[in-house]
Amino acid sequence: MSAVTPAFGLDVLGKPRLSVPTGRRKDRARFQWGSLVLLAPAIVLLLGLFIYPAAYAFYLGFTNLRLIGPTAVHYQFTGTANLQTLVHDGVLWNSMWITAVFVGGSVVGAVILGMVLALALRTATRSVRVVAGGVIVVCWMMPAISAGLSWYAASTAGGTLATILGTSSSDFLHSAPLVVVTAANCWSQTGFVMLVFAAALRNVPGEVLESAKVENASAWQTFRKISLPIIWPVVVTTVLIVVLLSLGNFALIYIMTQGGPLNATNILPVYSYVQAFSFQDLAYGALVGNVLVVISTVLAAIYVKLSRVRI
Amino acid sequence: MTIAITQDDIVQGALDAASSPPSVAPPKGQVRKDARRDLGPVLAGNAALGLLGIAFLIPLAWIIVGSFDAKATWGIELPHWTLSNFSAALADGGLRSLGNSLLLSVTASLVSTVVAVMAAYSLVRRRVPWKGPLLLVVLFLSAIPVAIIIVPVYQIYVSLGWLSILPSALFLGVTSLPFEIWLLKNYFELLPVDLEEAAAIERANTYQILRRVVLPLSFPGVAASAIFGFVNAWGSFIVPLVLISPSSQATGPITIFGFMGAADVRYGDIAAFSLMYSVPIFILYGAMSRFFQGGFVLSGGVRG
Repeated sequence: MSAVTPAFGLDVLGKPRLSVPTGRRKDRARFQWGSLVLLAPAIVLLLGLFIYPAAYAFYLGFTNLRLIGPTAVHYQFTGTANLQTLVHDGVLWNSMWITAVFVGGSVVGAVILGMVLALALRTATRSVRVVAGGVIVVCWMMPAISAGLSWYAASTAGGTLATILGTSSSDFLHSAPLVVVTAANCWSQTGFVMLVFAAALRNVPGEVLESAKVENASAWQTFRKISLPIIWPVVVTTVLIVVLLSLGNFALIYIMTQGGPLNATNILPVYSYVQAFSFQDLAYGALVGNVLVVISTVLAAIYVKLSRVRI
Repeated sequence: MTIAITQDDIVQGALDAASSPPSVAPPKGQVRKDARRDLGPVLAGNAALGLLGIAFLIPLAWIIVGSFDAKATWGIELPHWTLSNFSAALADGGLRSLGNSLLLSVTASLVSTVVAVMAAYSLVRRRVPWKGPLLLVVLFLSAIPVAIIIVPVYQIYVSLGWLSILPSALFLGVTSLPFEIWLLKNYFELLPVDLEEAAAIERANTYQILRRVVLPLSFPGVAASAIFGFVNAWGSFIVPLVLISPSSQATGPITIFGFMGAADVRYGDIAAFSLMYSVPIFILYGAMSRFFQGGFVLSGGVRG
């Protein structure tokens, strides 16, 4: 924010100015129409291609729109017909459960691993820090397509995992698909969590840690009673970010399993896509997407609330 | 990914994780005792990092070995060394799809960065009605995953006849816009207003102030924003999958995904292409961390 001169203060002669100036405040920039010209492209784009589509999806969810065929063009409002399908859709309820397991597992895994790594970064020797930290950051940076294919290769029959475990014929994408995709997502988010926590831990004042040392506190006590409370707001925000990132991680699962086998990894965004574009039911796909919009709206609102931004 | 980290220290800290933690000087007379006691954490740190580093390498093993293996499968084995996988991956429409990815990502990055610079500058320096709520909405949008609005966007694009690469780039630009506005807003707030006021006294107009004063001073922030926009589009899978209809405009991820469904799957090509496709991102993130290590050289610009 630009610095704002307070209304109360010292006048030119250095005497305290006690009267509150009346009339329009002159210490703030005046409104200029030019500001709107600068702001307009962002507002138009965000309204047109972000907010409007989200609202439009709520309408589409209650129509009989299909990808191809006669109702692809001449579709109409069908009331609660889709909603009734939704309520009785066993695949959808199953999909919500799978989404919860996928997201929950990813968050718990990524946050614990990220914290362990961030703490390890503080004490490890430089060469280990650079090499191992580098590997973990590389895993995070990989595009979804490369990450998904790597994990597919690692977990399929005859892949790296099976070879290491000495059971080369076992196909983990068949025997434990949800575990594999959750591990893959966790793998790809841990680097991010590690970097954020490492930055937060660096802001813990050295004096406090030093006094804990003088008091003979154990490493666990220091972490539990000092570092963790100080970085707690960052931890909470990071959990939310990882939840939202996992919730939207269509690409990783679609590349590895397309939601299969037998819907075992069918998280909500994948189910929405499959309904809309594989089963050609755009309206129902939009409705399933709306469930996600509601969930992520709540989470994003909590995120905004917790960010406690100064504006 | 379009999720925001909105605190400067996090963005900055995220880029130089490898820098050393603040060291605590041992009090005099206890040096030797402390040195012995500090060996435990060092060992623990090395063990944790080393073990997890190796574990995280396991899925990467195939992509590295398979790229150079003339007889690659999904399995992992000692490779028959070759570089032909890379040329083969580029031959069959691979090179064109890399070009498409480049076009998509540069356009998306350009659109989002230009629009975000204008919006962030106006929000930081100008009197804008409902500034607070506006910023909260932008922060809120930065947390919404794109995948969930793909169906309505598809329907809108169908009715506009927009199912091709440049409109898709526009949409990808919009998805990274909220985060970029926040990033740049945080950056512009750190700039001293004096230089802009001086320029305004010299009768520079808004464009000149932005172009000659603000942009050069905030280069690291603008570069980070542009890189974010590029990486967001480069890695995107669902947007080009749904919104780009002509197969000649398919981007890298869609082309590799197509390789998997081919009659005879050429594993080596898939590995080589996946590896090649990751490299630009590594380079860009590396470049970004350099910009930030340079830090701000602003204090010298304002004197007196």
